[in-house]
Amino acid sequence: MRRRKGSRVGLAVATALVVIFLVAPLYWLFVGSLQTGDGIAAVPPQLVPADPTLENYVQAFGQHRFGRYILNSIVVSATATAVVLGLGIFAGYALARMPIRGKTPILMGLLMISVFPVIAVVAPLYLMLLKLNWLNSYQGLIVPYVAFNLPFAIWILRNHFLDVPVALEESARIDGASNLRIVTKIIVPTVLPGIFTAGVFCFSACWQEFLMAISFNSSISSRTIPVGVALFSGEYTVPYGKLFAGSVAAVAPIMILVFAFRKTVASGLAAGAVKG
Amino acid sequence: MVIAAVTGFPLIFAVVMSVSNVKVGGGGFDFSGLTLDNFEIVFKSEKWRYALAFTTFYTVVTVLAELVLGVLIALVVERLGASRGWMLGLLLIPWSLITVISATLWRYVYAAGYGVASWALTLVGFDDPVILGNSTSAIAALMVADVWKTTPFVAIIALAGLVSIPKELYEAAEVDGSSGWRTFWSITLPLIRSALLTAVLFRVLQAFGLFDLPFVLTGGGPGSSTTSLAMLGYNTMFTNLRFGPGAAIAVSTALIVTLGCLAFTRVFRAQVGSREG
Repeated sequence: MRRRKGSRVGLAVATALVVIFLVAPLYWLFVGSLQTGDGIAAVPPQLVPADPTLENYVQAFGQHRFGRYILNSIVVSATATAVVLGLGIFAGYALARMPIRGKTPILMGLLMISVFPVIAVVAPLYLMLLKLNWLNSYQGLIVPYVAFNLPFAIWILRNHFLDVPVALEESARIDGASNLRIVTKIIVPTVLPGIFTAGVFCFSACWQEFLMAISFNSSISSRTIPVGVALFSGEYTVPYGKLFAGSVAAVAPIMILVFAFRKTVASGLAAGAVKG
Repeated sequence: MVIAAVTGFPLIFAVVMSVSNVKVGGGGFDFSGLTLDNFEIVFKSEKWRYALAFTTFYTVVTVLAELVLGVLIALVVERLGASRGWMLGLLLIPWSLITVISATLWRYVYAAGYGVASWALTLVGFDDPVILGNSTSAIAALMVADVWKTTPFVAIIALAGLVSIPKELYEAAEVDGSSGWRTFWSITLPLIRSALLTAVLFRVLQAFGLFDLPFVLTGGGPGSSTTSLAMLGYNTMFTNLRFGPGAAIAVSTALIVTLGCLAFTRVFRAQVGSREG
């Protein structure tokens, strides 16, 4: 009991430090997006913008085509996520329930592929896409994104399928339901949180992916957000204000989504790491 | 038939992946018309050796820093009780930020003259610091940016481990008069070890593929002091258009990672095993 008061103050201080550590850079991104030339380069830096303006947002979406980058990212990420979930649900179910030989190596392989460095496959993929004439196209990014994100999605989904009681399935089977019907009508609704988690992960990974995107889709009209930001430059100086405005617009929806569903997302992150 | 499609799918997928890996070698050979020359060029090159050393050093330092900070943050958040959910949300925000955007933001923070970090350094007595203009400070700057973005990932996993520790163990330790420090080393740490191991493994593999951050933040410079293996491979292939040596760099990186994975097979197996049956 003697330590209680001291440790409570300590905890508050520590919490404040953690919050500052996490939030300060993001605050700076936001402040930067509200300032034009003088404010951006002010010395000493202005912690609260003296003359906030939305001009950067107007220009980012007007002359700098951030709208196009965001649209490209949405098309690529959403399609890839839909395909990954469609395939992952069946594969995850199979790995959780069906008697397959060599299950352990398959699962280990899946986990390893999901963290494999992209650089290893960029060259052959580039040549393949070149042959197919798929460079600077949506499908040229969607297909590799599916391949790279499917393993982890299968992994998450399988873990959720394992938690569905087998008795539920058996009673459906006794009632004469087919495998497909069991999956779509019984299993999928019960593992909806798992599907959601896998979806968020896949979408967020596609949204952030850079190496493949810059290698395959670098023409202005096919750039995704990361490529657009990385290749964005002014004539003389880096136009941070406009860059940040476009960036805030690009990441805010995802952040709000992740924040709203924080419990599900965090448990999904931890699912691979904590012994069930 | 449905069963065949369902069970066959993962197998087909594994085959497809192995084919695309084989083609990495194929791409290299096709372009040069020679077999092992590309690898010889790469292994003898100073740049490759430096990139390998830099990537390894970078990986070790950042992952260690993330591990220590991540556990500390998890310990703080775990004690918060009711407001834990909020902190969880905050932790997820850097994780969900696009790396390229985070790199751009840090470039602004480090900017010579008007960057916040440069300004802060002048306050403590440095004259006109050029953080990204000097190898040592550029590497440190890169590490700070990486640690900020990825520590939350480690913290979330460590937190999940902490939450799963039964409270009785702590009570028993308190009754036995164990000090906080001692409780941490002999109860907390051993019990979250397996969770941390997985987090470390994932982070090591990711850090080894380092690309986005130096591409935007330092451009691999000054000189080539922050050129990672992935950046060297990318530059060789797409800037210098030397696909042969580029593919050789890529393949050698992949080999190193695969060997790393195999060395950690136990961790992966433990993951699979823990959910089996």
